[in-house]
Order: sequence, then C-alpha cells, then structure tokens
Amino acid sequence: MAKNHSLGTLALAAMALPGVWHASARAENAPGQGLVGLKFLNYQDSQPGWKRITVNSPSFLLAAPLGRDWGVEATATVDHVSGATPRYHSNVSGASTMQDERKAGDVKVTRYFSRASVSLGGAYSTEHDYLSRAFSLAGTLSSDDNNTTWNAGFGHAGDKIDPTDGGETGSIRDQRKRTNDFILGVTQAVTGDDLVQANLTHSRSTGYLDDPYKALDARPSERRQTALLLRWNHHFAGDGSTLRTGYRAYNDSWQVKASTLQLEWVKPVGGGVSLTPLLRYYTQSAASFYADPVYDTTLGEPYPAGWTAGASNSLDQRLSAFGAFTLGLKIEWAIDDLWTADLKGEAYQQRGEWRAGGEGSKGLEPFKARMLQVGLSRKF
Amino acid sequence: MAYRMSVQAEAQVDDLGFGFGAMACDCEVRIAGLKRRDAEPLAREAIAEVQRIESKFSRYREASVVSRINAAAGSGRPVDVDVETADLLDFAAQLHASSGGLFDITSGMLRQAWDFKQKRRPTHGQLELLLPRVGWDKLRWQRLGAGQAGRIELPLPGMELDFGGFGKEYAADRAATLLQARGVRHGMVNLGGDIRLIGPRPGGQPWVLGVQHPREAQALAARIALADGALATSGDYERFFEQDGVRYCHILDPRSGWPVSHWQSVSVVAPACLAAGALTTIAMLMQGDALDFLRAQNVGFLAIDAQGGVHRHELD
Repeated sequence: MAKNHSLGTLALAAMALPGVWHASARAENAPGQGLVGLKFLNYQDSQPGWKRITVNSPSFLLAAPLGRDWGVEATATVDHVSGATPRYHSNVSGASTMQDERKAGDVKVTRYFSRASVSLGGAYSTEHDYLSRAFSLAGTLSSDDNNTTWNAGFGHAGDKIDPTDGGETGSIRDQRKRTNDFILGVTQAVTGDDLVQANLTHSRSTGYLDDPYKALDARPSERRQTALLLRWNHHFAGDGSTLRTGYRAYNDSWQVKASTLQLEWVKPVGGGVSLTPLLRYYTQSAASFYADPVYDTTLGEPYPAGWTAGASNSLDQRLSAFGAFTLGLKIEWAIDDLWTADLKGEAYQQRGEWRAGGEGSKGLEPFKARMLQVGLSRKF
Repeated sequence: MAYRMSVQAEAQVDDLGFGFGAMACDCEVRIAGLKRRDAEPLAREAIAEVQRIESKFSRYREASVVSRINAAAGSGRPVDVDVETADLLDFAAQLHASSGGLFDITSGMLRQAWDFKQKRRPTHGQLELLLPRVGWDKLRWQRLGAGQAGRIELPLPGMELDFGGFGKEYAADRAATLLQARGVRHGMVNLGGDIRLIGPRPGGQPWVLGVQHPREAQALAARIALADGALATSGDYERFFEQDGVRYCHILDPRSGWPVSHWQSVSVVAPACLAAGALTTIAMLMQGDALDFLRAQNVGFLAIDAQGGVHRHELD
C-alpha cells in the first residue's frame, strides 16, 4: 500500500495492534510517512569548582519518502559552543576560553529494493577553525525469510584544521586529516521477541591527529581503530516493554583498549508515554603516550617527567585511563497519531579510580557532564 | 451452516490451499511459491493462530474471555483482561466513537429479537426490552495505558459483548502477519471471504479477488486486483428473510434494533483486514453517509446500493 500516509485514523489504528501489521519484516521498505523534527540540546561539562564548556545546539531533521522505492533523510545542526578548555590535564588556571559556532548538515539518499537497500550519504561541518567533509556508501541485504539482515558500509572523511592564532604553539596552520571507515554487520531475529546484532567496525585515520589547543600535544600521525559491538533487544509481550542491551569492545593502535556496557529499558506507562532509563559503563586504558600529571622538576609544569622533544606525547584527559558512568532518562510522549514530544537527560561522570581491569590514571579531577535535550516531531 | 463465501480467489497452479473450518465459515490459508513440505507446517501454524483467537474471543466458547465478561454482567464484579483483549477493546471504543455510536460491540444481543430461520420479526415490545442493555457508553472500560492490561464491567444483567464484528478479521491479520514473519512472501489468508494478503503472486502480479454478487449466488459483482493489503465485504445477503417485499438482514442499527437497507453490500480494501472489516460494517450502518465516511478514511471501496448501482472508489 503505497498511500499509507493518507489513511484515515481507523485504518491506522487497526495496523497499530500487535501482530496485525508486520512492521519489522518490512524493514527494506521506503518510509511510508515523512517526519520533520526539531531538537534542542544543551550540554555542559564541569570539573570541581567550575563549569567548562557549554554547548547549545538546535537541530532540524527531515525524513521523507520519495516515491515508492526511495527515501531521503537530512539533518541540519547549529552548535553554539562557549566556555573554557584546559590546556593540559584538568588544569584550570591555564585554560583558554573559547566561543565558537559549528554549522553541520548531512543528507542520505536510500534506494530500497525488495530484499535490499543502498544508501549514499554526504556530510559537511564547519567551525571557524575546522572544516569536515564526508561521504558514505552503505547497503543491507535480507535473507528470504527476513529473519537475517546483513549490512556493510564504507565511509571517507576529509578534515581541514586551521586553528585560531596557530593553536597552542602559534604555528599550526592548514593541517589535514583523512579517515576511512568500514563496517560489517549482521542482525538476526532469534524469536519474535529477540533481536541480536553484531557489528564490526574498523577505521584508519592519518594526518594531523593532535589537539591544536592542548599544550605539548604530539600524537602519532596514524590511528587504526577496531570495535566490535554486540546487541541484544528483548521485547516483553506481557507489559510491552523492551530491554536493549549492548556490549562494545574497542582497541586502537594507540594502545587504548575500551569496553562499554549499556542497558536501556523502554517501558510504556500509559497515555502514549514511555519512559526509557539508561545505564552505561565505559572503561578504557590510557594511550601509550599519555603522560600522567607528574611534571618535570627542571622544565616545570606542564612538561611531564621524562618528556622528550619529538616523541609522541599527550596530556589530554580523554586519553587517560578511566572509568565512566552515564545515567539517563528519556520521556517520550506520542501526543496523537502525528505529533511526538521527547525529553532526554543524561548525567556523565568519569574518574580514574573507576577504571576496570587495571589502574586508572592518577592525579586528575573527576570530570562531569550533563546533557538535556528536548525534541518535537511530526509525521506527514 | 450454509455459508457462501462472498469472495473467491483466482486459483493458480503452483498455489497450495489449506482449507479448514473456523468461526462458523469456510477458511483457507493459501501459500504460493513454496514446496508443500515447507508450506504445510507454516499453514498449520497459521491455522492454529486462527483457532487460538476463536477460542479466546468467541462468545460461543464457555472458556473464552468474552464469555467470562458476559457471565459477569450485572454482578458488580469487573473482569480483568490481558493486553491483547485490551487492545481490541480500545479499538472497539475507537470504532464506536468514530462511527457516531453505530459500531457497537454490545449490540449483538439485539439479534435475539430476530429469527432469520423462522422469518420472524420482533414481537411487540421485544426490542424495547433489549435496547436498554445496548450501548458501549453504558459499560465501564478502564485501562492504565497503551500496552497495559485492563478491566471491564458490564453493569447491567443481560448485557453482552460480541467480537463478531472484527474477530475474524483480526484473526486473518494475525495469521497473515505470522506467515510474513516466517518468511512467506506470496499467498493469503481467507476467513469466509475476509481476506488478508501475505503478498502478491510469486511473479509479483496481483491476485484477482472476486466479489460475490449480492443477489445472484453463482455470480461475481466485480473483480478486484490486489497485491497486498486486505479485502472485506459486508452484505445484506448473508442472513436475511423477506416479508411483504421487504428484506430484513442481520445488520442491525444499535439505536433502533432494526435492519439497515441502504446497501446490498460494501467491500473495503485497506492495509489490514481488521480495518477493512470494521469499515464495511460501519458503512452498512451509516447508510446514506457511508461513501463520504469511507472517502474520509481514504480506503478503496466497492459499494452496491439497494437498486444494484455500483460505486467504486480507488480500486485499480
């Protein structure tokens, strides 16, 4: 039925009853309905005693069918970023303040076939000191019984970095970074209520990978990253809720090994409202060239003990060994057949001592962030 | 029970038809493009789903949810129902509201006043006794929210629910959806003329479904080509009698208890059989307003009026 979008409320209500309409088996169908949405995100991170970066970001999204076999999705985002970013470790006094605006947009066009789909996407993002252009090609293929779907994709991004005033050293200009991504995955419906998925991703970045605003930041010019993501979603027919679980194992050529465990429970509570609490634990080892905040007695702060000019080095807290918890809650409200509103909040905290499977990096202040997002969307 | 299937599907050489009886009519699961060895267990599973729904919702089965609710009518005790029943009750409430009260699952008991076999109209005062016990707005239906169980109470003794207005159609959808989930791509589920397609014929061409002529038992009124979705028909010819030149059919207006007479039959094409079936019944009950209502629902239809005139909308 190509004209589902215009059906009356009764015809749609019948299709909404469990088991009446096989939505999941029609995954390769072009979207029958279009969607426009507006989201507003507020992000703020902090370390004891002070707030650092604030991001305010409205975004606009659009998904629309183009005839029976094509679909298009697009998003546009404008971030206003302000605040301070530490020059090294969690140092406060030496922080550089910043004010920036990021404009980003992407568009993806998909052609749907009876058992397969092919998507071509492009993305563009610009800040006053950064320009990123990317494209991606991805495809899916389903088995005859529709219980198995394979997916594969390739992406390429080219970035240009031209930091304000030449960055931390004053001499960084017009640097390039290139990234190639590969993804391979399979999704299997084990029972009517259980879906498992495995995705293997590999990416290779080359070029300028340093943080231009961090002191003494000199990273290798190549980074190879591999991650395996395993997911299992279980639907409880009794109360209509869904438990989403995920585990991600990651390692890269900078010796960062990381694991993520995530639990999400989508619970309908009546009146078109569903609550989704979220718990995520993340832990990683430090990059081989990360230096603890133990400073050289001769050179003084921020030079780490044993610092050698020309060797790889980073004082970026994000490359230290740590563990982190995220607690979140999403409230989604289907106001009527067309309108949906949602509110999402997440609190994040990262500490060296929370690392699992080894010692965490010492001497860093705990890092906290919180994120609030409100969204409103309408089908058409 | 003498029952004529109102719709006949065109037979194909490579089709496998699995016939069975359920819900007081002739039923068939048809699977095309698969070997018998593979199709048979799947058909059996689909038939079991139809039988599950029949035993759960038939008011003729003592152990059914509907019998349990009806048995408690007037007792002051509400009956707890599971999520599936609650979904159907919510849908019934929506049908009631959207049809201006014409689609009413408490109205089935009005047929007690009509004897179609003995060709007898209600005796004086018979309908007046029954009508006070009819009305969706008279019962108490409570649900915490979507995806939750619920609680229903029929406050008056003798009040009755009847899922006959959509139970068969719901079963056709469930069975067809189950087969789709098992990977079946071609075929249909036909429950006494209420048809839900699983998918087009193996070559991708549509099925050609014939609509029973309301006045000539051996003839078709129309042929409808359909590749997916559902087709359901309500007519004044399924159970009726004629007296003094007036036809009395089994579709009764819940406000008066008297049969409708505007349409000989209404067929509706919609994605789900549940919607198609409910919309044909509402259309029969709406009489002169039916076509505007169906157009507003944006479904395809074929309506045959009392004079035999054919009204077609959005059917290829």
